[in-house]
Amino acid sequence: MTETALTAKPATTQRRLPADWRSQATMSVMLVIGAAAMVLPFWWMFATSLSRKANVSMPRTPSFWPADPSFFNYQVATANLPIVQLYANSLLVVGVTTIGYLFFSALAGYAFAKGRFPGKSVLFIIFLATLFIPFETRMIPLYLMMSDLGLTNTYWALILPFLAGGFGTFLMRQTIASIPDELLEAARIDGASEFRIFWQIVLPLCKPTLATLAILNVIWRWNDVLWPLLVTSKRELFTVTQGLALAGRTQGIYTGVALATAVMAILPVIVAYLVLQRYVIRSVVSSGVKG
Amino acid sequence: MTREPGSASFPAGSGYSTSEGPMRRAFSSLTRGVWVWYTFLLPPLLLILVFVGYPTLLAFRQSFYTRTPEGQVFAGTYHFERLLTNSIFWGALGNTILLGLAFLAIVIPLATIFASMLNRVRHGATPLKVIYFLPQLTSSVAIAIMFHYVFQPDWGLLNGGLRSIGLSEVPLWLADPRFNLTGSRAAVTVLAVWAGLGYFIIVTLAGLQSIPADLYDAAAIDGATPLQAWFTITLPSLRPTFIFLIMTGTIDALSRFGDLWTLGGPGGAPARSLQSIVMYMFQTGFESNDFSLSAATAVVFFLIVLGVTIIAFWGFLRKEFKAMK
Repeated sequence: MTETALTAKPATTQRRLPADWRSQATMSVMLVIGAAAMVLPFWWMFATSLSRKANVSMPRTPSFWPADPSFFNYQVATANLPIVQLYANSLLVVGVTTIGYLFFSALAGYAFAKGRFPGKSVLFIIFLATLFIPFETRMIPLYLMMSDLGLTNTYWALILPFLAGGFGTFLMRQTIASIPDELLEAARIDGASEFRIFWQIVLPLCKPTLATLAILNVIWRWNDVLWPLLVTSKRELFTVTQGLALAGRTQGIYTGVALATAVMAILPVIVAYLVLQRYVIRSVVSSGVKG
Repeated sequence: MTREPGSASFPAGSGYSTSEGPMRRAFSSLTRGVWVWYTFLLPPLLLILVFVGYPTLLAFRQSFYTRTPEGQVFAGTYHFERLLTNSIFWGALGNTILLGLAFLAIVIPLATIFASMLNRVRHGATPLKVIYFLPQLTSSVAIAIMFHYVFQPDWGLLNGGLRSIGLSEVPLWLADPRFNLTGSRAAVTVLAVWAGLGYFIIVTLAGLQSIPADLYDAAAIDGATPLQAWFTITLPSLRPTFIFLIMTGTIDALSRFGDLWTLGGPGGAPARSLQSIVMYMFQTGFESNDFSLSAATAVVFFLIVLGVTIIAFWGFLRKEFKAMK
């Protein structure tokens, strides 16, 4: 068996070499064409956003560099839309929900992984059951609830529903369950409180999972438009994505300005992604959840 | 395999086992009491009950009641009858399913081909992965705005490109609500494939890399060509990946909202050709204040998503059970 493998292997690689070179070249060409198809719309959008003339007439043949590059469209876009305010809103909402989601997921995950108390299975099933309830099922009653509580058009409405969730709890429970009990037991013998063990031993050991969860939550909350559309109607409270969606529907005839708005909304996200791409891709793949 | 649906959503039970020192642990938990765990669980549990459980129950309840100035009046299945005889609802559901099927039918084969090439290419796989994944990070709203112009019939990127290669009759894309391969539904399918391809490639690639290399060595010894090996080893080994992608892809397609709303408003213009089921829910509940009809739609939506999840789990677990025998 091993003998055949040893003798067969060099033979096949030798035989395949010329064909292999050709297939490598074909694959590279196809992959580069695919990548160009991914980048081209972004680049075209960016180039058009720099053209003042784009608001009046667009060249019939797509141009990938404007004849009249200027930041005019960006000036108009920032005058039309309080982009700094939108960013501040998005950062606040995404920041607070992410911290809350991580904290409560880890806290519940720790209780489910290491705690011993009556009713654990039932409580865990309640948390898990939320995984099977799509947000869309409950969005209208949730909106009515927020409205009854007088929370519409407040940051609370954008934050409160997303502070805890079954997915994060489940992921944290799986991670914390793999921490050896001896480690926690040693701390208990030293007299550390359960919360101190959680804060000083468990959390630092969960950094990779926490990072995954943080990345996913940032993507979810940053890109969400459905919920902000329901609960906020004041411009001062719009998130970036919501502001972009509403601006895109009203200023659509000014191509240059609309695209400049879109560029301002996505450029920071793209830069953050390019810096963190390794972690972002790994988070999405390892958790099996789409961003 | 790190992305099996089972491992993502099923309790594995590993945390329940206490193989070492049960006596000591029982003693320790007795002295410390169980209350600390309840205090840990209370805040997240309350949040989940108030913001997930309660509104879900309200949605189910509202679908059987009518809101009147005098309070809630029981309506039986009236709202479901209203919903199931409503052509706009069926149109929206039909659109959602059609767009979802078209998307999956295109994106999965395409992603498999690209992932197989990325897996075998010797140079540049990492930067290419980063580029393919880029639209995944961009909000569906921003992508919709961009593609609104890409599909512009007179000067858009796509028609401009088609004209420059010599086509004179170019499609109307988003302005054409008919059921055809160059209309609004085709356009948003192109958009979805463009935006979703990276995620499907990355997940398929992870599936490919988990296939043991000795399977291929054995096939090579048996004299199989790379293409034969691809069909007899690669595709069958990717089965769990495909089931996972079909399940998550179907649920995502059913929940489609942001891009279609940005392009067509809540009504899914032109001519409701782009209205999805979630947009219909949004429109009846939020804009027409017909909360009962919206709640009935939410219940139907919930049942469909649950059905998809159960079928996918069954399809996945069936093979797991066979493997155990």
